[in-house]
Amino acid sequence: MSYKIPMGPYHPALEEPYKLDMICEGETVLDAKLHIGFNFRGIEHLAETRNHIQAIALMERVCGICSFIHTLTFCRAMEGLTDQTPPPRAQYIRVIMAELERLHSHVLWAGIAAKLMGFKTMFMTCFEIREKVMDILAAISGNRVNYSMNRIGGVNRDITDPQSILKMVEALEGEMARTVIPIFTTSRTARSRCAGIGVLTMEQAIACAVVGPVARASGLPQDLRKDAPYAAYPEMEFDVPVQPDGDVRARLLVRALEIMESCKILRQALAKLPPGEFHTGDDKFNFITGTSTARVEAPRGEVMYSVSWKEGSRNPARVHVRTPTFAVMPAIRWMVKGARLADTPLIQASIDPCYSCTDR
Amino acid sequence: MTPLESIPEKLGTTESWTDKGGVHWLALEAAKVRELAKAMNEIRARFITITAYQLPKDEGFRLEYHWDLNGQLLGFSFQLAGKSIESIFDFTEAADWIEREIHEEYGIDFTGREYEPLLLRQGETMGVNLRDAVAAIKEKI
Repeated sequence: MSYKIPMGPYHPALEEPYKLDMICEGETVLDAKLHIGFNFRGIEHLAETRNHIQAIALMERVCGICSFIHTLTFCRAMEGLTDQTPPPRAQYIRVIMAELERLHSHVLWAGIAAKLMGFKTMFMTCFEIREKVMDILAAISGNRVNYSMNRIGGVNRDITDPQSILKMVEALEGEMARTVIPIFTTSRTARSRCAGIGVLTMEQAIACAVVGPVARASGLPQDLRKDAPYAAYPEMEFDVPVQPDGDVRARLLVRALEIMESCKILRQALAKLPPGEFHTGDDKFNFITGTSTARVEAPRGEVMYSVSWKEGSRNPARVHVRTPTFAVMPAIRWMVKGARLADTPLIQASIDPCYSCTDR
Repeated sequence: MTPLESIPEKLGTTESWTDKGGVHWLALEAAKVRELAKAMNEIRARFITITAYQLPKDEGFRLEYHWDLNGQLLGFSFQLAGKSIESIFDFTEAADWIEREIHEEYGIDFTGREYEPLLLRQGETMGVNLRDAVAAIKEKI
């Protein structure tokens, strides 16, 4: 006989609300339904009541981890409406910030995944490393979470001493290469808890149009930094890790390998940081009538902003945000089908869900 | 012929792609939306999202559909005569949530599918234009 188990809206692993109603038979999940919207904030609508400076600050609050990525995408869309091209130094600083944010996000996720695997010492190691990433972000921007770095036509703060940041990145890379990466790629605990569970096949991944590490862990080599490069990414050399298995372990491996690729990009960007201005210097803009669209590869996958403006207006006419978790989350239904009930918290966490983004 | 070039012919339109702001746009009638979804599946384009725009006065709505084809961003804009358009959910599973969200926020009906609440809770009124509802509340205040 089947029975229903409601999980949430308070998630057993993450302190953000969503609900998963699972139909189970014994300990096996037969089907599941997802419910979101418990903390829906109406940010898109609020943006229509803000001018461009206020709207940037608002968009920084879409996500607590990818705050830089959201303002980057929003500013890139607005740059299309104001005919602004950020100078090369700004493009490099944007890459540096974006990759530090990816490190922050992946290491935080690794800590949570470790905790769910019953690997509590690893959780503490990951969070210690995460603190160091946040120290670097604070050294650049002055802030740990909402960095206020992006503006139309560039960034608000320069990196005055790239060598000191480079030293911090190298120390961090060494620590991750010694601890996090080997444990996640070779440990028996990680393998036994993650291999073969929460599988999303390549066909399902295509049907659900998933993005980011979840797509790459199902064998889809998609990454906007390569496919539609922006900022200074065309000048960076890096690989896009892809795993074919589609299980939780594949997602773990993709993120672990991406940590090392991010370090590789950071080293290049800091070493080659070009001289010059870090913004165009303009602070009054003439927005043209129309819609501009921008996409960026966030730690969790593609973020897309469509921004509409009417000439002469102080506020955007429409802002639409498509966040990566909104694209990935429906696929959880396929991942938990046939899974053991006890594995479902880890399976859900394996997509690195951001409910803040989803309830934008 | 590249997959991109084959699309206008597949959809039986004489329109051609125009590039604007890094997006390849193709003008189509709203009646072609399901054919479009099928054609996008055939060329293995990845569905991204639908963006709804409420037009001023009583001009109705515009929906913009976006797909990705190997890093190229494809856009299709549909002006709705009324408040409905055919659903593509049966061809494009990924469109499920965004169709439900637009239905709940703008009251646009994606015909040929059933709705369950997504952002709203069970029992709450669905298919209402919340934008108009908020404007009406603001007027009262």
